[in-house]
Amino acid sequence: MTDIHTLAGAYALNAIDHLERARFDRHLAECPSCATEVAELTETMAALSDATAEVAPAGLRAAVLARSAATPQTQRAVTRQTFRLPAVRWQRLVAAAAAVIALGGAGAVGYKIANHSVVVDNTRVSAENKQIATVLAAPDARLRSATATGGGQVTVVSSHSLNEAVAVLARLRSPGADHTYQLWVIGHGTPRSAGVLAAGSTGATELVSGVRGAQLIGVTREPAGGSRTPTQPLVAQLSLT
Amino acid sequence: MYRVAAGDQDAFAILYDAIAPRAYGLIRRIVRDPALAEEVTQDALVEVWRTAYRFDKERGSAVGWILAIAHHRAVDRVRAEEAAADRERRAGTASVPFDEVIAEVTARLEQHAVRRCLRALTAIQREAILLAYYGGLTYRDVAERLGAALPTIKTRMRDGLIRLRDCLGVTLG
Repeated sequence: MTDIHTLAGAYALNAIDHLERARFDRHLAECPSCATEVAELTETMAALSDATAEVAPAGLRAAVLARSAATPQTQRAVTRQTFRLPAVRWQRLVAAAAAVIALGGAGAVGYKIANHSVVVDNTRVSAENKQIATVLAAPDARLRSATATGGGQVTVVSSHSLNEAVAVLARLRSPGADHTYQLWVIGHGTPRSAGVLAAGSTGATELVSGVRGAQLIGVTREPAGGSRTPTQPLVAQLSLT
Repeated sequence: MYRVAAGDQDAFAILYDAIAPRAYGLIRRIVRDPALAEEVTQDALVEVWRTAYRFDKERGSAVGWILAIAHHRAVDRVRAEEAAADRERRAGTASVPFDEVIAEVTARLEQHAVRRCLRALTAIQREAILLAYYGGLTYRDVAERLGAALPTIKTRMRDGLIRLRDCLGVTLG
């Protein structure tokens, strides 16, 4: 038994910091019996939850169902090689104002982010597009932009009141056909994946939920399909505070 | 869960009704503040909706998967809050005790069907597991609190959980 394996209990209890978690995740990837043990120990603690169950607050159900209706589901990037949001396209604009401006127009709502514009086509509008438009139009929307390592631009518009952000990745260096860019929400705990681009893709617009209380949105290059925790250095990071 | 992963809102409403009391009850024990618990539960359950495709029945039940997400969210939040509270404490503010929460959880578990299995653990196994799970403590914090060595706590957590698993008959497959 290796030393790291004794961490299985602490791991199942979330009683480790995120560096140890990352180390143990790598261990789990190559130790199927350890993964089974962790799954069983996690399940064991869930079996105690009956004892602490209690009636949830009255407004919670409506709030959760409303938010889920407005939240697009993450898709399995490995099997779906196309990224969502076919309706969003890019245009270079002459002005390079770092501001969010509604452009309007027949059948389309446009937003200008830094020196890009995002056009949300109302004729093909999806729940995700609508939510992106909502974030961009939020009164407390804040914009940050950074140049990525290797070139390209990452822009984040975040709204604390909506607890959401829109991340726009544009003209990044090609990650290679078997790699991908992945977004992370980084706070005090383990970085949380906020979306995986299609393998080889150099740009996308992604809706990121749960940004309140987080410090940063980061981007890493990962093996195709994404990783559970970042395995590579950040190629871009944007403050959420 | 598969209907939820396929984007079925009605299925998600049914799932909510089945899981919310357990998720909220667990999160409230960990974050301790009811308003914060409501916010964290909301975030956790929206994450369940958003990432439902990741659920894999080969790796456990839907309840286990959802409560693991809920637990993770709650622990992340409580550690972030405590990091902030630490800064305040240095400035002279009192900390929030969680001993009462641990005592209340222990009392509830004592009234429950899992009582026999919990009693089969040694005192240090039981305390280490409950402090970590409901207190949101790392094993380092638990070791410090119980005045025990780090390797001892790691081992007790694992041995205790394994004993609990076997007693409750939790298996995959």
